[in-house]
Amino acid sequence: MDKLKPTCREVHRLVSEGMDRDLSLVERTRMRLHLVVCDACTRFSGQMDLLRKAMRGFPTDDTK
Amino acid sequence: MSAPDTLHSQLEAMRPMLVRFAQLQLRNQALAEDAVQDALLAVLEHPDRFAGASTLRTYVTGVLKYKIIDVLRAATRERQLEPDEGQTEDEAIDSLFAADGHTNEMPREWGRPDATLQQKDFFRILEACLEKLPAKTARVFMMREWLELETEEICKELAISSSNAWVLLYRARMRLRECLDLNWFGK
Repeated sequence: MDKLKPTCREVHRLVSEGMDRDLSLVERTRMRLHLVVCDACTRFSGQMDLLRKAMRGFPTDDTK
Repeated sequence: MSAPDTLHSQLEAMRPMLVRFAQLQLRNQALAEDAVQDALLAVLEHPDRFAGASTLRTYVTGVLKYKIIDVLRAATRERQLEPDEGQTEDEAIDSLFAADGHTNEMPREWGRPDATLQQKDFFRILEACLEKLPAKTARVFMMREWLELETEEICKELAISSSNAWVLLYRARMRLRECLDLNWFGK
């Protein structure tokens, strides 16, 4: 692993873990710097937010 | 006073849906039906507590979540160790990344979240995707995202380490992302 530049693989994992625990300052910084330049991880992060919102909206009105 | 008959029939209409969700979390039909029964009875016994503060569905769902947490706690003793679903799951995640750690494919644009979350079909597909998750992965994910328990509590209930929980949650999210991408956004 490159110590300076995190990979998408690492950042995907950090995005997920950041939803379940407080990331360290180093982890947060690595993640944020990567997200600024990476569309793939930014999209992934947005999709994770959507997933969380969706789960909290369950169940929906589908009692028909 | 609200009319008990109306409340009763409204609750009955919700029962199948509630059982489906309890089942997604508990993966056991009998336990799921019991939890829903307890929740519905609790609501019927104290109809005054639901004072229109939220919709009836939201209120009943909240009660059901507490009942499910009780069941999960009570079931701790009888829990059996499940086979590790790890290897194939990790391989599935590996295949998404190139050797240098970059994503193999650019994630598709999912469109506006607000618009998505207003569509019933989206939730139906999400539910189908949840059903397809391996049991243990699904249980942890539902505890975290549906019951909204903290990781520490999940670890305690399931006797797993926090790093194990984070891995399972990550796998669940990756799987669900793929499933939604394919079946909803890819249509």
